[in-house]
Amino acid sequence: MSPDTLRRRFLETGGIVILLLVAVAAAAAIIEPRFLNRLNILNVLRNFSFLAVPAIGQMIVMTTGGFDLSVGATMALASVVTAAAMAAMPDAHGLQLLMPVALALACGACVGLVNGTLVARLSLSPFMVTLASLSIVAGLTLYYTQGIPIYGVSDAFVYAIGRGQGLGLPPVLLLAIVVIAIAIILQRRTALGRHFYAVGGNVGAARLSGVRTHRVLITAYVLSGLLAALTGVLITARIGSGQSTIGGTLGLETIAAAVIGGVSLRGGSGRAENVAMAALCLTIIANAMNLTQIDSKFQTLVLGSVLIGALAFDRIVQGRRANV
Amino acid sequence: MSDRPDMAAPVVLDRARPDIRQFAAQAKLPGLVFLALLVLGLLDPRIVSSGNLWNIAIQTSYLALFAMAQTMVLLTRGFDLSLGFTVSLVSVISAMVMTGSGDMPILWGIAAGLGVGLLIGGLNGFLIAGVGINPLVTTLGMANIVMALASTVSGGFPVPGIPEAFTEALAEGRLIGIPVPILFAALCFAVLFLVLRFTVFGRGLYLIGANPRAAKAAGVRTGRVVAIDYGVCSLLAAIGAMLLTARTGSGEPNLGGNLTLESIAAAVVGGVRLTGGEGGVTAALLGALFITVISNAMNLMQVDGYLQQVLLGLIILASLILGRDHKKR
Repeated sequence: MSPDTLRRRFLETGGIVILLLVAVAAAAAIIEPRFLNRLNILNVLRNFSFLAVPAIGQMIVMTTGGFDLSVGATMALASVVTAAAMAAMPDAHGLQLLMPVALALACGACVGLVNGTLVARLSLSPFMVTLASLSIVAGLTLYYTQGIPIYGVSDAFVYAIGRGQGLGLPPVLLLAIVVIAIAIILQRRTALGRHFYAVGGNVGAARLSGVRTHRVLITAYVLSGLLAALTGVLITARIGSGQSTIGGTLGLETIAAAVIGGVSLRGGSGRAENVAMAALCLTIIANAMNLTQIDSKFQTLVLGSVLIGALAFDRIVQGRRANV
Repeated sequence: MSDRPDMAAPVVLDRARPDIRQFAAQAKLPGLVFLALLVLGLLDPRIVSSGNLWNIAIQTSYLALFAMAQTMVLLTRGFDLSLGFTVSLVSVISAMVMTGSGDMPILWGIAAGLGVGLLIGGLNGFLIAGVGINPLVTTLGMANIVMALASTVSGGFPVPGIPEAFTEALAEGRLIGIPVPILFAALCFAVLFLVLRFTVFGRGLYLIGANPRAAKAAGVRTGRVVAIDYGVCSLLAAIGAMLLTARTGSGEPNLGGNLTLESIAAAVVGGVRLTGGEGGVTAALLGALFITVISNAMNLMQVDGYLQQVLLGLIILASLILGRDHKKR
């Protein structure tokens, strides 16, 4: 193989993300030995799940050439809906607890449905549509709660999902693994998955080859909304209350994870496993900074630098292309 | 839209009845502003009192500065998602310099503020035009970095004790009877209007937005123009930030929180296209005026702040949907 094809292979298989992941994990372990502590590893994996699940949704939207800025707001909405519904039915137990969860997921799917419909049917800019829905959803959630946490989340729910263990692992991690696995199968083995790429690569060509582009686009946004809502539910189970502020920086982090994971902003490419690894990188960085007690505000500085640095590196390795 | 130069127009203009159509397109937003004032004035007469109209004019001048800054990069298919936090950082740093000891603290404060703005804009420009990273991600990353700096340099606290001369001059001052913020906005508007219409740089921005490759082929130094453009954007944001700082009387780490969203909203409501090459500072000014009128009225009617956020989102959506036919023409 020539060096050129080698380089392309390296990029296609997400070589940079693997390198970054190894480097970050090694650095964290060397700087802070407590990083390798069993409890801390579990903690990292749990936080990883909260980022990876919505990042998969973001990735799907981005492969269609779109953007979902409303992810963070949808998480908060789902959290508040879950908590409010559980507080309204204090005697619920067992499978009845699935009703608030279903309600929250439905809310997330609705946000995605509206986003997707506006983007697909009215061909509006995904960036602006989701910016507007971010404003609307966050505004509604904050108005309902006035910024105050909602208590009354069922204890059974918190112990089962948020703090329990399955196979010695946090249930949220198992869920995240399932989501990632489904996403990989979706992308590699199903028509829908290929249609996501097709629509992102060239909408016109996709439509001419018989892809129902509108339906595919709407599905992408619905999936993103659904996964964001699922994350909101999981976080609610973890912290035990509904909060209108949980989405804060997570929405941006999903974009960072997707971009570092090699999802093209022009659409048409991106792989779930690379995005998951990028999410793990970001989680490890945040965890290492927490362990070394670096001001949490500085973490956003590192997040921003990693985002720009990864892309600059990518750009330099790939060689410059016309991109203004 | 209103001040789109024909040279950069990528579509064939409708020659049949250009006057009526163009007039209708151009008069839509001023008409809407007028209508909004009329309806709101009927609902609550305080809104159209002369004191409040001055108030609206002053509030508009801040948002207009930020919307014009955003427009400058939107024209090239760019974005500045770091604008809001740039405002915060400029506010905090210029306030820290001003309240520090030394000769001529005000001058140094202004210099520091403008310098911070230029630095951020220059970095954005270098990464986007020089390294070739997507503007959205570059400024998103920059937003994170700048936010972290803004909320840590002063320990996250407001910086009080700004010299009174500064606040008196920039917030309460009047020249020939007109409040200083309005003068600043008007001056920046005039300069940018002329630059966009009559300079090689300005025309270059439209060309790059309409078709980057064609612009390059036509001899526009796209890299340099785009880099300078981001500098201009952040510089305008810095000017607005210092005017706002003079108004609040302290350096505020949270000053710019919503400004990124609002500046994009104002530009888009005014008719600037995210696909580049369309719109101008007139659109930004009108969009800023429209949004300010609405939010001013909601404040007077004591609408919940969170509901205002919902309404802002709905206004953006409405203007996107209404502006759509224009694109399809």
